Amino acid sequence: MNREKRLKKSVRYVLALGLALVLFMPGSAWCEVLKVVQPHQSLYPDPDFASTPVASVPVGAEVNVDTQAGDWYKVKYQGKVGWINLQAFQQPQAQPKFNLGNLLFGKPVKETSSDEVALAGKGFTPEVENAYRAKHPELHFAQVDRIETFTVPPARLRAFIKEGDLKP
Amino acid sequence: MKRLTWLVLLATAPFLLGGCAAMSVAPVAAIAVKGVTQAHEAARPISPSEEYYIGRAVAARILSRYKLYNNPELTTYVNEVGDVVARKSTRPNPFRGYHFAVLDTREINAFACPGGIIFVTLGLIHTCKNEDQLAAVLAHEVGHVAHKDGIHSISQARWTKVFTAMGKEAVTLYGGTTAASLVSLFEGSIDDVFQTVVVNGYSRQAEYAADAAAVQEMSRAGYDPTALVVILTRMEAMGKGKKGGIFKTHPATAERLARAKALACQAPPSKGETIRAKRFEEIVG
Repeated sequence: MNREKRLKKSVRYVLALGLALVLFMPGSAWCEVLKVVQPHQSLYPDPDFASTPVASVPVGAEVNVDTQAGDWYKVKYQGKVGWINLQAFQQPQAQPKFNLGNLLFGKPVKETSSDEVALAGKGFTPEVENAYRAKHPELHFAQVDRIETFTVPPARLRAFIKEGDLKP
Repeated sequence: MKRLTWLVLLATAPFLLGGCAAMSVAPVAAIAVKGVTQAHEAARPISPSEEYYIGRAVAARILSRYKLYNNPELTTYVNEVGDVVARKSTRPNPFRGYHFAVLDTREINAFACPGGIIFVTLGLIHTCKNEDQLAAVLAHEVGHVAHKDGIHSISQARWTKVFTAMGKEAVTLYGGTTAASLVSLFEGSIDDVFQTVVVNGYSRQAEYAADAAAVQEMSRAGYDPTALVVILTRMEAMGKGKKGGIFKTHPATAERLARAKALACQAPPSKGETIRAKRFEEIVG
């Protein structure tokens, strides 16, 4: 009888502990920190790209996640609450180790490696671009890289908008 | 007693299902992010990063045909105007953002590469008479990027092959030729997009949709959307009897003009046009 009482008591503790963990477990609402890994990210007042951003969130910024709705995370950043898209937290794909040039230009591949499986699973990647560039040296990828440096600093853009009587 | 066992199992379910490691907050979030990503990859034919790499290659091909105009002041101005409308589009944050560049040619044209690189020719900039008209041109091209019109021009048959090549089973089947076939498919995809963006142009429906997007972006940004109608009317007049360039890729037909006019007329009036026209004059001349 005493043994059964002790068992019941233990079960109550386990139940209480389980309930507490369920309540505090991350789910549709949680409190944690995620790091922004992609550039050009903004904090939006609504989970909608069409809404006017309330702040820019640079690479490396850490945001406190409150809730998630589809691709959007409601976060707190530098005292501001807003929504940030999932893409901000997605890590760039890892570089494969094998030599794609060998695969492209006729060197035999005796067996399918796990690296190749990984590459094929990623579709069009920097490695595929590199191979394409090697095949087409006449194309001006260096200028494309230069064009990607054409960015307007947020403060300058704000001044431009204000000067032109445009909407922020 | 059995009831108690079930209660214990119920209470400890989170541990059993998630494992002890999952109880630390960060790994659970990572799993959540990964889960969402995988679900998306299953549902969409192309990822933002793949679109980006296709766009870079299309841009490189365009730059093999046209020279980049090296004028930092004008380039910065075009990027400022472009950013103002792009941030009001339905897709303000493509994978690596929008970048606007000027092509050194008198030809009147503009090209939207998938992923966010947008070219406008010196000829088209000089066809615009003020900043709002330049904003209309750039907003229209942003509309093409937002709607992924370039990507949609990749043939369905080619995409089916990309999917096949991406499967693990295909790697087992094709062995070492898989990577080479991916590059070949990449090359073919770029050809498809280049052909549409530079040579043949988009469908009429895609043009109407990009115009509608431009009107919306301009209204939200504070530009006068009727500037789109003005520039289209000018291009229609200039394009009479011409079949190449922008007159083929972006034909300003009577129906297109009527649609743009109907949309633009509903927009609220804009302020500050004089200031904007002045700075356009100072930079573009």
